[in-house]
This record gives sequence, structure tokens and C-alpha cells, in this order.
Amino acid sequence: MSIDTHSHHDAHADGGHHEPPEVVDGRQRMAIWLFIGGDALTLGALFFTYLYLRGVNTSGHWMSMVGYPGPQLPGGHTWAYYTGQESLPEATTVVTGPLSAGLNWLGTLVTVVSAGFIWAAERALRVAKNKGSFTLLAGIGTLVALVAVFISFHQLAAVPQILSVHADNTVLAFTAYGSSMIIIIGSGLVHLMLLVFLGVGLTLRSVRGAISVENWYQSRLVRMFWVWVAISAVAISALTTTINTIH
Amino acid sequence: MTTTLEHKAPVIKHEGGGLARHQNFLTAMIGGVAGAFIAWAISHHFFAQDVRTTSDAVAVLTGCGWIVGFWLGIGALNAPLAWLIGSDQTRKDQLYYAGEDQGTKRYWKYCTDHKVVGVQYIVMTMVLLGAGGILAMAIRTELIVPGNHFVDQQVYNGFIAVHGMLMILALIVAVAGPWGNFVVPIMCGAKDMAFPRLNALSLWTLVGAAGLLLTTLAVGSLTMGWVVLAPITDQAGVGMDFFALAILVFTVSTTVAGVNTICTVFTMRTKGMTLERLPIMVWGAIIAAALGLYAFPYFSLVEALQILDRTFSTSFFIGNAGGTGWLQANLFWLMGHPEVYVILIPAVAAVFEIAAVMARKPVFSYRTAVAGMVGLAGLSILVWAHHMFTTGWAPTLGGPFMVTTELISIPTGLFFLVLIGTLWRGNIWMKLPTVWVFGFIANFIIAGITGIYLSDIPIDNQLHGTMFVTAHFHYVFVGSVLFGAIGALAFWYPKVTGRYLDEKLGRISFWLSFIGVQVTFLAMFISGLRGMPRRYASYAFIFEHTNFISTMGAYMIMAGMLVLMGAVIYCWNHGEPSGSNPWHANSLEWLVSTPPPLENFDVLPVVTEDPYNFGKELVRS
Repeated sequence: MSIDTHSHHDAHADGGHHEPPEVVDGRQRMAIWLFIGGDALTLGALFFTYLYLRGVNTSGHWMSMVGYPGPQLPGGHTWAYYTGQESLPEATTVVTGPLSAGLNWLGTLVTVVSAGFIWAAERALRVAKNKGSFTLLAGIGTLVALVAVFISFHQLAAVPQILSVHADNTVLAFTAYGSSMIIIIGSGLVHLMLLVFLGVGLTLRSVRGAISVENWYQSRLVRMFWVWVAISAVAISALTTTINTIH
Repeated sequence: MTTTLEHKAPVIKHEGGGLARHQNFLTAMIGGVAGAFIAWAISHHFFAQDVRTTSDAVAVLTGCGWIVGFWLGIGALNAPLAWLIGSDQTRKDQLYYAGEDQGTKRYWKYCTDHKVVGVQYIVMTMVLLGAGGILAMAIRTELIVPGNHFVDQQVYNGFIAVHGMLMILALIVAVAGPWGNFVVPIMCGAKDMAFPRLNALSLWTLVGAAGLLLTTLAVGSLTMGWVVLAPITDQAGVGMDFFALAILVFTVSTTVAGVNTICTVFTMRTKGMTLERLPIMVWGAIIAAALGLYAFPYFSLVEALQILDRTFSTSFFIGNAGGTGWLQANLFWLMGHPEVYVILIPAVAAVFEIAAVMARKPVFSYRTAVAGMVGLAGLSILVWAHHMFTTGWAPTLGGPFMVTTELISIPTGLFFLVLIGTLWRGNIWMKLPTVWVFGFIANFIIAGITGIYLSDIPIDNQLHGTMFVTAHFHYVFVGSVLFGAIGALAFWYPKVTGRYLDEKLGRISFWLSFIGVQVTFLAMFISGLRGMPRRYASYAFIFEHTNFISTMGAYMIMAGMLVLMGAVIYCWNHGEPSGSNPWHANSLEWLVSTPPPLENFDVLPVVTEDPYNFGKELVRS
């Protein structure tokens, strides 16, 4: 390979690790797109899981199971191991029904609103050059995302369990639908917690001067990921509230 | 014009690094063990002891504690936590993390220099291959005669599973890890990887995952093979929890590494380094990285679902609660077949690279080589169901999947065309790397042809559960990928150490390994054709002779690998000095000093020609 070692003196040759933010920004944006691409594939695999289980509806147990309805459990415990099956009511096919669509869309709406705040924050910094607004909006966006976190926890707690009789023991279990919702909501929860981490970071960094009207690049990276999470939340709600029961 | 760029970086005394000054592999181990113990104690205390899933939940949380503690101990979380509070690293900190003036200590630390990470990958790969190899010898020793009781049958099953997964992990990183890190950035004319800290994170996350995987040997109970098919996994002991968690953690490592590689190549190439001037090795690295980004989300999801089924009473793979094992099989093989090419493509690219330099010719039909790798990657995502031909899943899809599988022979055939075309009438320099290239070609032909048999449904119906399949994929992984990886090691070893890998010991290792592979796996083909099922600790007497021969061959491979390992260790400090460019190659990694300096280039080069312009006088007319 022929090279010319003299004609291209890198303007930043004194610091391969210490380049100006606009140089680093290009590769960081590419990385964010790649991570979003990987995340989209994971979301696709989650949808595949959901639709596959619903499609095969093994033993007719997509939303039902042979077991005992939860409210009849003595003591109202949810994570207890019950012995002495003679004390339990007769086993029946228990249908759990879909989770609340309203709560599902509420969580999505809150996530979208938080993304809106982060978008506005980034615009305030990058376009309006208003660091104070950025700090405020990023902080509000983070708090709103925190609300979405609590809604997700509430959703997870609402996934019904059924006391199911197996050959050798009796356990609480989730139906295929419940299982799918746990992984989908759980995955969303992990993303929301990551957003909260990033939002706290943006806000604190802005307060401490690590983010400024000249150095706004990280806010755009975070906004890109935040918007993706909001889009994926919409997609999840659209799927799980429209295609859930077996007709 | 070829020029060697000598390192003239000034020595800078500094006090950067902060907490990282006290962090290294030892603190990582201490942190990991402490994290595991704390997580175990807390989870053990809070979970009711009589719940069916308690031990699994405790195992998973203990494993999570190990990883978090390991990350904290090695320093992987320093920068994210510092970022959170608005404290960025200074230039001095960055130089400390890059290992400046730290000598050999940096190899035990969370070092961000891509060359150090490359060397760490070399060691890591050898450790993983060594551990997997020991298990392989135990497996073959068990099979040396029928009815042997060298190990318990359940232990044997565990050995099969851990051997399989250790080798898969090791081979995924065997070429892309060491050389994707050490040479690819320099080949592009970059000062480092795009994200040096993520680079170190991918390496040390792999180390943490390996720790979890090896734990399965200690706790046992992993009795269902490396594909860990559901729903039998729901009945397995806590070894399965560590296994699934290890895979989850591993996919974090590969995802981070893949993003880093792609960003490095596409955003950090020096001036004049157009895509068509990229050394072919770089193409292999980015195509494999992209394919990994596609494949490994399925891997992480399927293991996450396994963990939830075992710890959280979900029913993804449990038929009597609405789940199905088909879901696990589909998700696993959606990853499983592309993963074969994540492993294979970097090795093929390395072999192309070596062949071009050693034959003093350009890569024959460079664009065909790239198209072949892209085509192979693209087709690999459309063939997963051929792993389920015999299971009864969607029989109507058998025909289409047979066609897509057989189409793979086209890009594979292009590889042979490119390799033979590159070597044809070249001035072949028959040094150690070239020897391994020829071994690769011979073995890869057998691997490819037997793969075509297995893609055919009627033949697969007869052979799928037999040792024929085992022999086929060992020709792919051992005969082809491992030979390519060792060729790459012999080729770039002088760049890492400034010394040749000993030619004589290397050739002894080659012949032991090459003959060993033929003895082991040709005999295994015969066992399979005669109907010997795989995955069994014992077998009928009619398979006695071929199994004895296979075991003898396996011992030969082990001898070859031991010789190689001895050579690698001995030559590191005592090998014949090689200078900066022992193969008279033209790509950028050979034009910097040996070992390359921190940040590789004082002045970024401008590339004006492709890397394979060796001059016509060296090619036979």
C-alpha cells in the first residue's frame, strides 16, 4: 500500500482519544443508530414471540390454564407454594383476559410525552442556545419517564397468575399471554430505567457545565435513543392492545 | 512508495487514572466474588425456601452479582458513573486508561488501547479453547471403547454442553477478537477503535461471561447439550441458570464489539482509504460484526426467556401452560446459523489476506470476495429451519429451506474461487501462515461438501442425529475456522511481539493437527454413516473401531495444540526477531513500527494505492 506520510497532517493528531466533540459526534451517531437497529431486532423478536405463541395457542392456553382462579387463594398470597391440594377448590379452566388497554396506552403516552420534553430540551440547547431551558426540560422529561417506570411496575404487578396443578406439584404460573406481556413490559421497563439514567446524566451534566450551547452533541444522541424508545412503546401498545384475544 | 512510520511519541509523566490506578484483574475477581456472595446472601434471605423456583432465582441473582461486581472491580463502570455526575475524563486519564508507560501491567487492567485489548483477546481465546479442549479430550476418552466409565453419564452430558458452548464462544472471538482489535484499526489508518472504553468493556464482559459458563461445570446439572433445547431445560438444575446468564452477558459483549468495529471502519478510515482499498480482512471483520448484530438479539432473548421460565413461572416453552418448545428452537436457530458465519467469515477473510501476501498477488477478484462474504451473511439468515428438518416443525417449509441452504454453496464456492485464484501462479512463500492456509483449504472442502449432503432433506433425515453431523461441523469449526485462526496468529504474531512464531514447532503443530483432524473426523463420518447417534456416552460394539481411531486422532490434535501453545509462549520472548514487516506486506499495520506505538501513527497517512500492489515482477507470467 502506498502512502504519503507528509501531506495529511491530522489537525487533531495530538489526541486520537481527545478529539473535538463534532468529530466524535459523527461516529457516536452511527453507534446510536446501530444500537437502535439491534434494539429494533430485539423488539422484532419479542413481537415474533408474542405472535407465535398466540398463533399456535398451545392446548388452548394462550389466555387460560387449568388451575384455580387467583382470588380464591387463601390469604391472597401470590408467591406461595401450596401443599395439601385437598383444601383447594376444584380445578377449572381459568381465563385471565387481556391486561388493561387504558393503562397500556397511558404508559405509552407518558413515554411519548417524556420524549417530547427531551426533544424540546435538545432544540432549546442546539437551536435556541438556551441552556437554562435545556436543564429544565431535560429534568422534567426525566421525571415524566420516571412516571412511566412506575406505570410499568404497576402493569407488571397486574399480570395475573394462576395456581396451576402439575403432575408432581402445584405452582403459580403465567399463561402464554401473561408470559409474553411480562417480557414485553419488562423489556420496556429496562429501557425506561436506562432513559432515567440518561436523563439524570444530561440534567446533572448541564448543571455542572459539561453540556453547553457549544457542546450539545450528547443531548442529540440521548434524544435519538429516547425517541426510539417512545416509538417502540407505541408499536408495543398498538400490537398488544389490538391483537391479544383468540377469536 | 512504502514507508515505515517510527514511533516518536514523547514520554509524558502524569497522574491521571484516578480510581483505575487501583483496579485490575485481581480486584475484578475480588469484586465479582464479593458481588456474587452479597447477591446470594440477599436473595437467599428474601426468597421463601419452599418455592419451586427459588434456587434458580438465587442462582440468577448470584450470577448478576458476579457480573456487576466484576465490572466494578475492573473499572468498567468508572466512566459511566463519572459521566452521570458530569465528570469527564481528562487527557491524562485517557492516556492512563490507554496504558501509557505501564508496561505489562496494562494487560491485567481495563486498558483502552486496542492493541492491548487484542493481546488480551489472544490470551482469552487460548484459555477458552484450552478449557474446551480439555473437555473434548474427556469426551473422546469416554468414547474410546464402548461402555467406558471414565466419567458419569450425566457429567458426560454436562461436558458436551459446556465443551460446545465454550468452543462456540472461543471461535466467535478467535479471529475477530484478537485481529479485529489489534490490526483492523491500524489497517484503516485509525489511531484506535472508535470507542476505546467500549472496546475494553467487550473484552472484560467476555471474561465475566466465561466465568459464569465455567461455573456450570462446578454446579453441574447441565445435561441437555449446548443448544439447551426447551422444555427439558425447565427440568435442569441451577447450572442452566448460569449457562443462560453467561449467554446473555456474552451477547452484550458481542453487540458492543460489533458496533465498535463497524463505527471504526466507517468513520475512522484515513484519507485515501476508500472502501475498495480496504484490506480484505477489514471487510471480513465488519461483515461478521453486522451479522452478529442481527443474530445475537435472538440469542439473548431466547436465554432471557429460559431464565424467566425457570425463575418467574412464565410459560414460554412449557406446553401445558400455553408455551411451546418450537419457539425456543426457532429463536435459537434464527441465531444459530448466522452465528456459524459470524465465526467463519473473519477466518476466511484472514485466509484471503494471508494468501494474497504470501502469494505476492492481489486478492483474486476482490469484489467477488466481498460479495461472497456479504452473500453468505445474507443467505445465512434464511436457512435456520434446516436445523429442524427432522423435528417435524412446518414440513411444508422444508423445500424452501432446503433451497436456501443449498444456495449457500454458491458464495462458499466463490471463496474457493478467490482463494485458488489468488494462489494460482503466485510466487508462494511457503512459510508457517501459508501452511495453515493450505490446511484450511483442504478441510474447508470437506466441510463444504458434507454440508451440501446435510442440506438435502432425504439425506438429512438419515444422518441428522448421527455422528456424521458432528464430524461435519467439526470440519467447519476445527478444520476450517481454527486452522484459519492459527494461520492468522502465525501471520500477525510478528507484529504483536516483534518475533516469528517458531517455524519448526509451528509445522510440527500443523502436521499433528492436520493429520489428527483427518483421523478423528473421517472416522467419525464413518461412525455416523453406520448409524452411531451423537450425544451418547456409550455405544454399540459395531462402532468400536472407528471411535477408537477418532479418539487417537483427537489426542493427535491435542498434541498439536500443546506444541502450538508452547511455541506461542516460548517465542513471545525468545523467538527469532522479525523486524517490522517480515512478510514484506503493504497494508498499514506492517508500515508502523513493531510493536506499534500508542495511537499507532504520529502523522496519519494518506493512502494512494490498494494494499495488494506487490508489483508484476513477483508474479509468474
